[in-house]
Amino acid sequence: MTEAITLSKNEHIKARSNLLRGTIREGLAIPQTGAIDDDDTQLTKFHGIYQQDDRDLRAERGRTRMEPAYSFMARLRIPGGQVTGAQWLALHEIARQRGNNTIRLTTRETVQFHGIIKGNLQPAIKAVSDAMLDTIAACGDVNRNVMATINPHESPAHAAALQLAHAISDGLLPKSRAWHEIWVEGQSVTSGEPEEEPLFGPTYLPRKFKIVVAVPPHNDVDIFAHDVGFIAHVKNGAVEGYDVTVGGGMGMTHGEPDTFPRTADWFAFVTPDQAVATAAAILMAQRDHGNRAVRKNARLKYTIERMGLEAFRADVQSRLDFPLLPPRGATFTTTTDRLGWYEAGGLAHYGLWIENGRIHDTPDRKLMTALQAIAQIHQGSFILTANQNLLIAGITNRRAIEALLAEYSLDAPQTQTRHAAMACVALPTCGLALAESERYMPTLLTAIEAAMADAGLASEKIVMRMTGCPNGCARPYLAEIGLVGRGPGRYNLYLGAAQDGTRLNKLYRRDVDHDGILAALTPLLQQYALERLDGTSFGDWVIRAGHIQATTAGNRFHLDLNPELAEAA
Amino acid sequence: MTAARLPDNAPFAPEAIAQLNRVIGPATTTQRAWLSGFLAGMEAGNTAQAPSAAAPPAPKQKLTILFATESGNSEALATAAKRDATRLGFAAKTLDAADATPATLAQAAEADSTLLVIASTWGEGEAPQRATRFLAELMDPAAPRLDGLRYAVLALGDRAYAQFCETGRQIDTRLEALGATRTAPLLETDLDYEQPAATWLATTLPGLRAAPIDAQEQSVIHVDFGIPAPTAITKTNPFAAEITVLQNLNSSRSAKQTLHVELDLAGSGITYQPGDAIGIIPQNDPRMVQDVLTAVGLSGDDALHEALASRHDITTLTGHLLKQLSELAGDRSLLALVADKDALAAYTTGRQVIDALRDHKPRLQPDQLLQLLRPLPPRLYSVASSQRANPDEAHLLVSAVRYTAHGTPRGGVASTWLADRRNVGDTAPVYVKPNTHFRLPEDTNTPLIMIGPGTGVAPFRAFLQDRDETGAKGRTWLFFGDRHFTHDFLYQLEWQDYLKRGVLNRLDVAFSRDQDAKIYVQHRILERGPDLHAWLQDGARIYVCGDQTHMAKDVHAALRTVIARGSNLSEERAEAELTQLRAQGRYLQDVY
Repeated sequence: MTEAITLSKNEHIKARSNLLRGTIREGLAIPQTGAIDDDDTQLTKFHGIYQQDDRDLRAERGRTRMEPAYSFMARLRIPGGQVTGAQWLALHEIARQRGNNTIRLTTRETVQFHGIIKGNLQPAIKAVSDAMLDTIAACGDVNRNVMATINPHESPAHAAALQLAHAISDGLLPKSRAWHEIWVEGQSVTSGEPEEEPLFGPTYLPRKFKIVVAVPPHNDVDIFAHDVGFIAHVKNGAVEGYDVTVGGGMGMTHGEPDTFPRTADWFAFVTPDQAVATAAAILMAQRDHGNRAVRKNARLKYTIERMGLEAFRADVQSRLDFPLLPPRGATFTTTTDRLGWYEAGGLAHYGLWIENGRIHDTPDRKLMTALQAIAQIHQGSFILTANQNLLIAGITNRRAIEALLAEYSLDAPQTQTRHAAMACVALPTCGLALAESERYMPTLLTAIEAAMADAGLASEKIVMRMTGCPNGCARPYLAEIGLVGRGPGRYNLYLGAAQDGTRLNKLYRRDVDHDGILAALTPLLQQYALERLDGTSFGDWVIRAGHIQATTAGNRFHLDLNPELAEAA
Repeated sequence: MTAARLPDNAPFAPEAIAQLNRVIGPATTTQRAWLSGFLAGMEAGNTAQAPSAAAPPAPKQKLTILFATESGNSEALATAAKRDATRLGFAAKTLDAADATPATLAQAAEADSTLLVIASTWGEGEAPQRATRFLAELMDPAAPRLDGLRYAVLALGDRAYAQFCETGRQIDTRLEALGATRTAPLLETDLDYEQPAATWLATTLPGLRAAPIDAQEQSVIHVDFGIPAPTAITKTNPFAAEITVLQNLNSSRSAKQTLHVELDLAGSGITYQPGDAIGIIPQNDPRMVQDVLTAVGLSGDDALHEALASRHDITTLTGHLLKQLSELAGDRSLLALVADKDALAAYTTGRQVIDALRDHKPRLQPDQLLQLLRPLPPRLYSVASSQRANPDEAHLLVSAVRYTAHGTPRGGVASTWLADRRNVGDTAPVYVKPNTHFRLPEDTNTPLIMIGPGTGVAPFRAFLQDRDETGAKGRTWLFFGDRHFTHDFLYQLEWQDYLKRGVLNRLDVAFSRDQDAKIYVQHRILERGPDLHAWLQDGARIYVCGDQTHMAKDVHAALRTVIARGSNLSEERAEAELTQLRAQGRYLQDVY
């Protein structure tokens, strides 16, 4: 940008960080506090690390004369979500020794650890590195973990999607050695050569940047929810190229209508060997044109809204030495995971439902111990899904795995709706949460399951997602029933997204509590049970029945509301 | 309460001894003091006033009063004994075992001095830290002969421990073996040592003369029992301090409960210094009072309830108590138990009075029950505040002691009284217990190395408050430790503030349960060895406060290693350096 602008605070922090070093290392050595310097908390995100505090304890900390109960969340970079059994065992040990003894599967095919206190942070990340994994760029204004439709055993195209996820993730990785210096070596090793970030520059991107790869008709990665998408086109069993989508994204801010979730635009068609270069060119266009003054307006989706898709395409084309062809288009069926046993590529696989992605032992269900036991005998891999589930892939000893699944009651039946549901972490660790999510979702689901059963819908699938704030980690705006926290115990209720992930939902009730959610949904479910035609999803039906208007584009997300909501807005 | 009795060798007929015992036995301290003064005054022909001095004997008998002290009780007794002895015409002086050698005793014997030893036993039968070197030298085969030295030993201890009064016993036996002459049988005292000690001193001091005592002198014995002025706050005259803050400093996720207690001392006249302790006189749990009464088949009137709640130790089970109980109850199994030393020790471990009463079901009369139970001892807590910073307050750091033994939940008497049955606005009877061997250096430039994990950090909060007030320039370094950084970091915000303002210059922390490998303060001491050694070279004083059983020993070993490495010495030489530091008052401990 050439015009004089006031850069956001984060831009200054990045600029003076010496390529993401800041004073992180010095801060780790200060014994009297569990926190690090404020500016450094922005930099650790680029290393996959968030400083948090236990919000359940905030009220008592003043009385006990202790600072907030600080700890760190560390998120891994696992392109395509695939880890080996040995790596799983390493993750298990890190969670047990250094974290809060839980592993959290995210909505983006990776895992994160919570509750790592400062003194354990470096050993934890070092252990990640020892397991041949890393946390580089898992958060921050960089290209985040790259997802791919699972399962690579399913077809050569699936395997290619996984490969592409790796290629993009590695190709678009920051070059700074800061991560290695701080977390692995524990000291700075000066090579004498000046470091550079040829792709990002010293201030990286204006905002987070997310890329996914999908193999139709499965849209498990929610292709339209990310900044960049690659959609495989298969011919004679091989990928002949990818449709590229741009400008998807979930986050918004309550009360600020110029922020909105947006489904991605169809952008281009490229050959497989052009895919990484295309991703890099889009990233650089966003690097140069993204809004660095207002972070709420900095995602690629707003850049495209501002520039227009054609101008953006021209900018990207100018960075490439091959032509961007018109997209071919593709159709999808579902965003949810394939669970349970299935065969593919001559091997058995088991899609394991993990409630809200939280892996831990409770008195009545030893999920974490069970997965450790499975990892000890499993010859294949574990694949973390975009829906917070876990695929035990490439099983060669099905009987033994089956026995463990049964022994630990991991194969207990659940409703389709519960299987399809997602909730973000929210309280007590997430600093952004306005309301409960992960801890409340099971309770709400039980009530909704009862309402569905009453209506005769017990065996139906309705995609339901919840987040504790409007940033949308669990992609609530693409759920048939979306719930977004507004305040303690209060949520906005959104309805009408498409099950294939192509259409956003729309606000149906503002600021409703548990009873309000059920009061709003119960009559709809009963009417849906009576009126639905075979195969009509709940998300489609609420539009057809006139309960809500369809959201046709991100910039119309806040428009076309029912009159009583429009007035209140 | 142990009844005072005249010794059988008192110069009275046996019937007269019995008659006197009936009067003196139950007499209060004040009554006895008055009686002493009365008798002495009668001799002086003046009944209106207590005598001020005894008739001067000639020539003056030299008396060396050797004390081995940990908490200061022996030292205080030695000071009192010196005062009494001086009034009796001795040329008496006190001698800290930390400053003494067996040769000193031999020289004293040469100079016709006699010897009074007052020695406390600490923890599981250990000698006071400050006296360990002297004791080792005394026990050494090379110790000099002490032929002709007349001596008597007063031992302080705690019957709750198997090796009761061990240090006093050892000294008593050893002095005899070295040829010295015992003039009075060893007196072993429990936590309620004051009255027996005063009685024993009154009769023993005259016997320490080298020459026989004539009847004239004996009749005018004056013993100062140290009766306080009515307004002075002491153990027997505590101040009812209002509790103004009672806050658990551990997080609600912690398994521990450590109370920050603020006491209002306004109007009490109480003064204390950093390093001193506050004694709290607690109340027993009323449920335990009821359980004890039920177990012995009593319902108990209000007076008995009150006595058991406020005045008697109804929890600590000692071998002594079991022996008494076996005599009272005549229970066969109990007689067998007390006859077997090992079985007795095994039985008392982890058990309380109530367990013994329930196991053996004695039927006791109220006076039998009270006679069985020793006085309720006060509990001492290092003051966590400086009076310079908080003129009318004393702050305490109290760990709520809770554990399970033999399948039954147990609690510390005083700590659970504060934690469970005291609220803000209630009062607690308190007094000051000075700790003269754990004070800030007079030179405010002296660097301080303070090692205080857990509640051991209390006096260091007082030290830093004081140095903050005086603007002392000396550097300060605190080692703190507990279980979990997030949930057990006592006074974290205060240390942060002191660090920011330069009142505290360095802080190292060790949290044992935040990782698989247990990390304690001694590990941090070893890690920081070179810096710590440099501080010592700069004249730093080391203070250690907290757990005696493990921490103080491990810290001691770590310090030895730091000195050995830093000064390139053998561990033996480094140990000698530490001993030297201790002798110089630069290595101080307040351990419990």
